[in-house]
Amino acid sequence: MTDEPQLQKFLDHVAAGRGGTVTMLRPISGGYSRLSALATVRWADGSEETFVLRSDPPPDTGVFDSDRDSEWRLLEAISGKLPIHTPTPRWYDPTGQHLGSKCFIVDFFNGRPLSDIAQDPGELPRAAQIFVDTVAEVHRTPLDVLPPALERPADWDSYIEDLVEHLGRLDRDIADSNPALHFVAAQLAAHRPPPVPLTFVHGDAQPANILVPDHGPVLMIDWEFARVGDPREDLGYYSHLPVPPNLYEADPAGFLARYRERTGLTEEQVNEDTVSYFYVLGMARLLGQMFEATDALARGQSRGVMATYMMNGISATTTAFVEVARQLAH
Amino acid sequence: MLSRPTTEQILLDCCRELMTNVLPSLTDATAQVSVIMVETVLRNTAVRAGHEVAWMREETAEIEDYARAVAEQAPGTAPLEAALAALAGAPRDSLHLDDVVETYCRAGNALSAALETAVAGGLAALVRRGEEILDVRSGHETEVMAGWSPTGR
Repeated sequence: MTDEPQLQKFLDHVAAGRGGTVTMLRPISGGYSRLSALATVRWADGSEETFVLRSDPPPDTGVFDSDRDSEWRLLEAISGKLPIHTPTPRWYDPTGQHLGSKCFIVDFFNGRPLSDIAQDPGELPRAAQIFVDTVAEVHRTPLDVLPPALERPADWDSYIEDLVEHLGRLDRDIADSNPALHFVAAQLAAHRPPPVPLTFVHGDAQPANILVPDHGPVLMIDWEFARVGDPREDLGYYSHLPVPPNLYEADPAGFLARYRERTGLTEEQVNEDTVSYFYVLGMARLLGQMFEATDALARGQSRGVMATYMMNGISATTTAFVEVARQLAH
Repeated sequence: MLSRPTTEQILLDCCRELMTNVLPSLTDATAQVSVIMVETVLRNTAVRAGHEVAWMREETAEIEDYARAVAEQAPGTAPLEAALAALAGAPRDSLHLDDVVETYCRAGNALSAALETAVAGGLAALVRRGEEILDVRSGHETEVMAGWSPTGR
């Protein structure tokens, strides 16, 4: 994690003429993947700004892996282009030369996490509306604003085929076997949902990643898993997220009706069954990373306690996948 | 070797020590979360230590019967036949954990191939039987989870 002298030196380098002084730096706890910190800087003209630092954990630690270069390029590309706010990019240390590891700095946004708002039972309907509307806005993003390097699948059919094959291959290169995945992949291949246009997908769409200000558009954070994909992946991913209250589980019919209204997709395309289907595909990448982390330990390379702790997540997720596959078949 | 207390009992005693003596003395939130995770992993491991050899051997026997039944219904399925041949060559007579795990993994590969074959071939009764075997496996994993719930966010 970056310390104050490192950040001070970095600011002296990237904002040399502004005379900034770091007055506060503290870690933000709670994330599963990246390391985050909050920093306040006083500039020579007397103004003060607060920033969020987002950095890679030390090499070969942790469970979930993502590419900071890609996330930074994406943030730069979409900044100001979406109807919702995205973190305003300020500086990036792409090598870790200054800040200790790859780390980018964005403006702090003064908003309350939607997950906190949803804790008030009286606010549940409003929280669900904000969540659905935000995700729908992401899915309406014109693809031409995205960085050229962001992969564009050739078409829906081949994209889904690749995802299903990927699911069935998750245990191919690890020491353990997982027959449940092969059963699920076979059932998903046999029961495809109707196609929809591929869109920009957040990849970790959940209320904790939406900050709600007192006035104006919300800000969505944590774009590390963003991609072009099937928009139902975001719905499916969130539908089973075990962080209460789950805004989808509270009222699936109302949740999906609003999403259809916002996106123009049909009930045949977006319903509880298709959401379950995409729960599996939306989670497959992260499940793969959980397998890789536990497999590292099986090969004698510890990734820290989070990896072994998340074996429970593997069990819970594969059990839920089998239930979805069974429903699809019957 | 010393056999009592059992491995399960020893690990659960470590859990008690962590939760009653170590955790209350910690003030750093990240360290608290780490200790809670370690305690969970130890409880998971205690359940595994108590049952894993028996569970894996029982499941392996069921899986082999099932995979052979699928192979009879769908003869000439190369991945399934290869997986069954690999299972036949597993160190199945040994009770050393590494050997039991190796045999179980090969059985898992046979089950994967058998399930894919049954689903693709529309072998409904065998698909149902395969689901029952997955349920047993899932039931064991749920027992190992020992009441786990997500934390950390």
